[in-house]
Parts: sequence; structure tokens; C-alpha cells
Amino acid sequence: MRLSVVAGLAVGAVTLTLYSLFEGGAWFWACVGTLLVTTGGATLASRFDAPKWAVPPLLLLATAVFLSATFAKEHTWAWVVPTKASALRLGELLAEGFTDIQRYAVPVPAEPGVSMLTASGVGLIAILVDLFAVRLRRAALAGLPLLGLFTVPAAVLTEPVAWPAFVIAAIGYVGLLVADGRERLTQWGRAVLVRRARSVGTDKADSGRLALSGKRIGATAIALAVVLPALLPALSPDPLFGFGVGNGSGKGGNSIGIPDAIAKLSGQLSQQRNLTVLTYTSADDRPRYLRIYALDVFDGKKWTVSPLRGRPEDRVSEGPLPPPPGLGPGIATNRVESRISVSEDIGPLLFLPLPYPAVEVDVDGDWRADQASRMVFSTRDEAAGLNYRVVVNEPRPTRDQLDTMDTPTPDSRFLALPDLDPKIVAMAGRVTAKGATPYQKAVLLQEWFTRTGGFSYSLETKGSGGSALSRFILTARTGYCEQFASAMAVMARVIGIPARVSIGYTGGTKIEKSWAVRTQDAHAWPELYFEGVGWLPFEPTPAGGAGQGTARVPDYSLPRPSEVTPSADPSAGPASDEEDTSSQGPTRRNPRDFERDLGAVPVAVDPGMPVAAKIALGAAGVLLLALVPAAARTLVRRRRHAQIRRGGAAPAIRAAWAELCDTLTDLGEAREPSESPRALARRLTEMYEFDAEAAAAVTAVATAEERMRYAASPPSAGPAAAELSCVRRALMGAVPGKRRMGALLAPRSILLRVRAAGTRVLDGFDRLEGIRWLPLSKGEAGTR
Amino acid sequence: MALTSDVAPDAGNRLEDLVDTAHRIRRSIESVIEGKADAVRLTLTVLLAEGHLLIEDVPGVGKTMLAKALARSIDCPVRRVQFTPDLLPSDITGVSAYNQQTREFEFKPGPVFANIVVGDEINRASPKTQSALLECMEEHQVTVDGVTYELESPFMVIATQNPIEMEGTYPLPEAQRDRFTAKIAMGYPEPTAELEMLDVHGASQPLGKLEPVATTAEVRALIQAVRAVYVSQAVKRYAVDMVTATRRSPDLRLGASPRATLQLLRGARAHAALAGRDYVIPDDLQELAVPVLAHRLLPSLEAQGQRRQPEQVVADLVRRVPVPDTN
Repeated sequence: MRLSVVAGLAVGAVTLTLYSLFEGGAWFWACVGTLLVTTGGATLASRFDAPKWAVPPLLLLATAVFLSATFAKEHTWAWVVPTKASALRLGELLAEGFTDIQRYAVPVPAEPGVSMLTASGVGLIAILVDLFAVRLRRAALAGLPLLGLFTVPAAVLTEPVAWPAFVIAAIGYVGLLVADGRERLTQWGRAVLVRRARSVGTDKADSGRLALSGKRIGATAIALAVVLPALLPALSPDPLFGFGVGNGSGKGGNSIGIPDAIAKLSGQLSQQRNLTVLTYTSADDRPRYLRIYALDVFDGKKWTVSPLRGRPEDRVSEGPLPPPPGLGPGIATNRVESRISVSEDIGPLLFLPLPYPAVEVDVDGDWRADQASRMVFSTRDEAAGLNYRVVVNEPRPTRDQLDTMDTPTPDSRFLALPDLDPKIVAMAGRVTAKGATPYQKAVLLQEWFTRTGGFSYSLETKGSGGSALSRFILTARTGYCEQFASAMAVMARVIGIPARVSIGYTGGTKIEKSWAVRTQDAHAWPELYFEGVGWLPFEPTPAGGAGQGTARVPDYSLPRPSEVTPSADPSAGPASDEEDTSSQGPTRRNPRDFERDLGAVPVAVDPGMPVAAKIALGAAGVLLLALVPAAARTLVRRRRHAQIRRGGAAPAIRAAWAELCDTLTDLGEAREPSESPRALARRLTEMYEFDAEAAAAVTAVATAEERMRYAASPPSAGPAAAELSCVRRALMGAVPGKRRMGALLAPRSILLRVRAAGTRVLDGFDRLEGIRWLPLSKGEAGTR
Repeated sequence: MALTSDVAPDAGNRLEDLVDTAHRIRRSIESVIEGKADAVRLTLTVLLAEGHLLIEDVPGVGKTMLAKALARSIDCPVRRVQFTPDLLPSDITGVSAYNQQTREFEFKPGPVFANIVVGDEINRASPKTQSALLECMEEHQVTVDGVTYELESPFMVIATQNPIEMEGTYPLPEAQRDRFTAKIAMGYPEPTAELEMLDVHGASQPLGKLEPVATTAEVRALIQAVRAVYVSQAVKRYAVDMVTATRRSPDLRLGASPRATLQLLRGARAHAALAGRDYVIPDDLQELAVPVLAHRLLPSLEAQGQRRQPEQVVADLVRRVPVPDTN
């Protein structure tokens, strides 16, 4: 009976990991209801000894009744009994749910269809788990349906499941195993104790000890599963303690999490309700991109923000911000004031949407500017509902000025790239081969994305990292702003231009006197760095009806009139017009031809290290790792000898004794706890047939320790380092070679110390155990 | 076994004197009792710890000889009481007799008025008589007709008993055994030692030739010196741990009493002093644990079923209790 409850709890624990797939909590309560029904049904079935084969159909029936009563109440008879109409309604809802899931990127709004679909899936899993764990008594097998449920968020999300969610799910499964094991144990009966009367009453400890070791193993396995990947850089999917995704942290104890900018972006773009998130007016009445995040770290899978710094003196209320990085003299700038008013519909947001580069921000609250990226954020205030004034100082460089500019990076992280598909590197070289200066290369790159590369805009695509990136650049060439921005930034870095990805909103559309920015104006675009101008936004995403509606290509990023098409007007607004003209233009370059033409250009690609070298390196690494205990032991010995030579009776005696004990431990010399120093010295002398010198030395070490411990006045001087070395030599000489090697290469004293540390960690777990937070304990209390 | 082997460098003169005197007494006793060095040393330890000794062994192995040799060596009066079922308490403590000349009651001291009292076959006397002796042992005084007489120091009772069950015996109850500091068994001598005994003492009475090697005053000084031996907190804790272990052991029905702890520590002081050390080490306690603790313990039925003697149980416990590391 208890097993049924624990099985239900296990499914519940795994269900919790679905949290990041949905918006809103309706799905959760539907799942909880379903689980209550299945668990209650299973408990009753156990209570009344229902035949095993009958339980799953019964539970299915109960689940169906619950779902119709919840989702198709108006069609049921007496609000409970399902009718044909209610069944049809459930079918409709299922179909709706499937379409919703297909249509929306995560997080999916929890509409009834989606909730119903989720609840019925969870119910099915619960019935399977009950079948395996309770009816067939194969609790381990019940892990398969649980794993199935767990893989849903793992497979759908580009981000790994957050570790606390994993821990909860794993504890659910371990709890199921523990409950099953305990049920088995109780069937064995109690252990018979042949003890005197005083210790009677320990039957609890007996089964408790078994359960304890089981729990210890479970806790250790979970802890290792969480900690190990974080320690191994190659396997690290998510920084430890980064609950949620992509986090940034401020100095001074404040930290803020950035919600997954990219995932949120696709969610916003595909949202049906197109809410106005903010409106703004500006002095020159021109639209401006409003940036929220600048993502500067690319790990091969996703773009994230490097840690932010928001010192108290960085508060925007402290006065004008320093000039933006990289802006040199001689560049014309345009100082414009805008007033932005953010709607409550923008949702929780700890960053201000601002045009770049803002030099003055006038806003209520504790908002701080990260000096490097110019992101303005707060750890306690939210952007929703704010009205603020911002002054930008836009650089307006001419093409000639840009042509002369170099791209020394302000920070190497803007050029950092993970191991990329060599084809991407080659492609970047080919596309920009004609450009003479970094600026020209950047323009060519943007042109390739918007016109010559044959890319098309689609919201169906998912992901921007790893293989998705190669697919986008090399084969599919279909995506939305996320892929375009990411790909351009990566390729710009490949050709040596510092780049980052900005996330925010496009300039929006003009309504009467102000500009309105809506959910679907959410956008990502690359920013490239040119020394003398600073960061300049580029726009590789197709604009207009067939692309991101309100995207605009900056003037400076358009090719010179002579370079493109005679018909193209550089001052023309939306790029979509140009797209059309380009496809009909006289040059009419087929993108494939373009590639073939430049295919012969030799591009240096680093093939990386040969495999044999990698293996050798790995082996060397393993060897080094294996020698760590030996090195640690040597260090400890050196330190103790130094301590002895430094003098000071008490520390020297302690060090000498500790060293003697550790040497014996290393040699695998067992010691009785009751052996006193004097007895030990006597035994060693007899056992290893020490010569007079060694015998005197070991007696000196032992006597010093003995007097130190027990005499009224400790000795005035410790044993000499030479004596200690003499004892060690005598011991090493007396044992067989194998033991000597073992003592040298795998010193047991160090390993024991590590084990002791491990035990302390386990003790910590046991103390956690004492808190009795496992749901399992409730059932336990019920049966005792 | 050289007693002077580990004289501490900073030990005072008193300790050297002690070792020297003890050595003389020991040699003197050993000249009449062959091959019983351990028993002799333990007897000396108990003497210096102001305790009493119970010797349990078959007749004729030299129990009385040991007691007499000790007494003769330190030049002090020794009295021997043969315990029989009809022995009365006054036969031990003494009686007040009416002196016709002075017309007054006059106290005739009993055999306890000596420095060393040998109680032979103590388990043959009635419990009443036994308890009269035990009172003297504990209080170091005798009260007759309302008058209290102090016993002279050193005062040591060496009682013997036969291990073999015999008719008409009253085995010492636990409470009374508890008053003896240590119990030893003489054991039969080694064949070589026995042969030598035949050669040396075959014809003559060896005790007669024994000359005193120390005075009672010297022994009193020795006892004072033993009291000054240092016991660290760690060692005290170790003694408590050891005694506690006997109380917790599933093999024992009755553990050792707090009095046992006291006597164990006193004995350890004497043991350390005899080794020329002015501080007690766990080894002293380990060596004394079996003779001092074992006779006070009652094995559990389970241990009895496995024929485990308390001596064995104590030895096991000593091996298991960890020695203290630091203060």
C-alpha cells in the first residue's frame, strides 16, 4: 500500500521537471489531480487485493473519468459520468493540444488542450509505474516510464534540465527503490538477536542500518551525478548553481538571473497575442533598436552573458555614463533624447530596453550600468511599468571612415570561439574574400545573409548552437533572427571582427506620435566592433513581410552603391525592397555560383591534434592523476620534516609521531587502537628485527610522544629528523618490495584521509536524513 | 626484567631511592620463591598502592611463603590466620579480657595488628568473620567494645583461597572480593625453577636465612612517593573508559565498580613508580587491568556457556579500548 503512494510521489517528482515547458500553472494542477486519482485508485486496489491484471484497466478508467470531469464537465452526466459528447470533447482537446504543441515554441501556454494532453500522459506514466513497481514488484523497471517522462523536457529544451529539478526527479526514483527494498526486507522477518537484556529493543536499528546504507548509496549517486559533470569541463552543460539558464551575477552579493533570452525570444515571436510591450517617442522621430541583453560568450551551443558588474558607483542615477567603448574623435555623433514607457505586459524583466549607446538614463529605482556592455540592470526593480528618459549618442561614421578602421579587440572574449565545424570557417573565408578591410568584410557578410546567400526566414526553426549552427549556415539556410544574428556574429569572429549578439526589440511601428513596440518585435541582431567607432549593429535578418517585419538595415552597413546594383538606393528604407531588386538585378548572382567561384580560395583550417597525440596526452594525464596521492604524501612528509627541523618541542614531536603513524599506514601495518606508543616501538623493534640504531630511534620517537601525552611536563626537545628518517629507512628495508612500492605510489594514509572526508560528507547526508523531508517517511510513520 | 630500564631523566632522588629499595625487596623475596617474578612484582605493586592481595591457587605453591618472605624482607611483624568455619570475629580483631591483677578489662590485640596479615583459606570462615577482616582492610582500624584502634601503616592483607570447590566453604561474595586490589594466581613453577628449588631449599628452611633489606619507615616513604606520581587527564579518562567498557560488555553480568577505578589508578601509580617513571602511561593500566579488574566481574550466562573467563573478557576489552591520544 505504501509502495503505491511512493510510486505516485515518484511520478509527481518527475512531473515537476516539466515546469520549464509550460507557461502558467494550469497543467500542473491537472497533473496533480490525475496523480491523486491514479495513486488513490492504486492504493484502494492494494487495500482490497484486487487482481493484478485488473488494476491498470481500472486506473485507466478512473483517469478517463477524472479527465472528463475536469475538462469536459458540461458534457458529462451529473458532472461525473462520461458521455459520448464528453469523450468527443476530450478528443477535440487532445487534437488542440497536439496542434498547440506543434505550433508554439517552449514555453507553451497551458491552454486546456495542452494541460489535458499533459495530464493524460502523466496519468499513463503513473499507471505504468504502478504496474511495474506495485503489481509486478519490479521497482527498477518502473524507472523506464519515469525516464521516458524525464526525457521530454531534456529533449525539447535546448537547455539542459536544471540540476535541482534533476535531483528532485532522481530522489523520486530512489525513494521508490528504497520503499520497494524495505517492503521486501520486512517480509524476511526480524533478525534474531542473541544479546543480553540491556540491548533488547534494537530491532529498529537493524533494518534501519540496511536502509541507511541504501540511502547513502542513493544520495551519493545523485550527488555524484550532479557534481561530477560540473567538475569536468568537457561535460559541463550548465554552470553549477545556475538555476535556470544563462546567468549573470553582480558583484557584492547581488546576483540576477537572465531568463533564457533566446528561448524567450522564439516564444515571443511565435506568440499569438501581439501585446504592446513598450512605447517611445524620440526627438528626431526615428525608430531605434532597443537593446536588452548583449550576449558575448558563445560556447558552441548558445550565447550567454559574461558576469555583469554593477557597482554602486555604476548607478545610472549617478550622472552621465562615460563615453561608449571604442568611440574615437573625428566621428560625427548624433545626440538624441527618447522617452520610453514600458508596459506591464512585458513581464518580469530586470533589464531596461535601451537604444545603444545610451549616455544618460533618467529612471526611478536602483539601476546600474555594466560598463563593458552598457546593459542596464537592477537586482530588485523591474522594468515593467517604468517611464524613463534616455539620451543616446549615436556614432554616424561615413563609409570612408569605416574603411580605415581596424578591429583590435577590446577584450579577447569577443573573439573567443569554441571548436567550430571547419566548413563554417572555410565558408566565412570564402564569403568575405573580396573584402579588403574589416568593414568591407562585415558588409559582405551581412549581404551574404540578406541577399546573396539564399537564406529564408522561418519561425519553425529551433536552436542556434552546435549542429544547428552548421545546419543553418551550410545546408538549411532557414531560420529567424536568432539564427541569423548568431551565425553572423560567429562568422564575424571567425574573420577576426569582435562580435556579440544583442537581444531586444526592433524600433516598432509608428502609431500617431509615438512608436509602439510589440511582442513580435522581439529581435536579435549582431553588433560588430570597430576601433574608433565602437560597437555597430548590423542586420543580417531579412526584413519586411517575408522576414522580421520591423527590422531595419543601418545605412552604414549597406554596400556602396557602385558595389551592389545600380538600381539599389543606399538610402532606401526596408531591406525587403532591396531583396526584391537584387533577385531581379543585372548581376543576378546565383548563390551557388558565388560559392563555386570562390571555392578554390585556399583557406587555412587547423585540423587539430592527431589522434595518437590525444591518446598519449590522455594517458599522460591519467598517469599524472594517479601520481597525485604519492605527490601529496611527499609534500606532507617534507612539511613534517621541516617542522621537526624548525624545533619547538611540541609541534616537532607531534609531526614526528604523525609521520611514523602515516608511514606505518602506508606500509599496510595494522595497529590495535589500544597500542600505546611504547608498545608500538617495542613491537616494531621485535617484528622487523631493527638494529640498535633503528631501535633507539623508534624508541626516541615513541618516548617523546609518550611524555608529550602523559607526563606532567612535556619534554624540552623533540626527536631529531635523522631519527625519523632512520626509522623510515629501517621500515622500508624490512618490508617486501611490493609493499614498499605500494607505500610509495599509492600511500594509504592519503587515501584514508580522502575516505575520511567522504565519510564526513556522508554523515552530512545522514543529518539531512534526520530532517525527515522525504515523502517516504510519511508512509513509514503510518506503518510503524 | 630490569626495573631501572626506563628511569625518567628528570626523576627526583626519591624515585631513584624507591626503585632501589623496591629492587632490594624484590631480590630478597625471589631468593626464596623461584621463577615467580610477575607474582612478586604484582605483590610489591599492591603493597605500594596500599591495597590488599587475594591469591587464589591450589595448596602448596608458595602463597604463604610469598607473604612471609615479603614481611621478613621489610622487617615488619607478620601474622597468619588460618580461617576455619568456627573462627570468630574476635579471633581476628582481638578481645578485651579481664585482668585479675589490675581488675580491669584489657585489650588483647588480635592477629590483624601487624603490618602484613596472611589470611589462609579465607573462604573457609563464616561470612561474619570474613566481614570482620574486610572491615579492617577498608578502614585500616579496629573497633572493639567501642574503642577504636588504628592499624599501623603499611597494612596489607594477603588472603589465599582454594579454587577447588570444597565442602564447608563460604565463597567470598562479589562485594567482598571488590575490596581486594588485585587477585593473582601463583601457578606451578617451571620445571627448571622447581628443580632449582629442590637444590637450594631442599634441606633447609629458606625463610630463616632471610635478612630484612628495608624498614617499615622506608616502605612508608615509598608509599608517599607513589602518591606523588603524576596521572594525566588523558590517562584518567582511559581508566574510566576501561571500567566503563566492563560495564557495557555483553559478556559480563556485573561490571567493575568505581572503587575498582580508584584502585586501578592507584595500582598504576605504583606500577609506574616501580618502573622508575614519575608519570602513569596507558601501559601501566593495561598490565594491571586483568589482575585488578577480573576478580570483581561476573560473566554473563552467555559467556559462561562459551566458557569465557572474566580474565579473558578483560584482556579482550583492553585490546579494544583505544589509548588516549592527547590531553
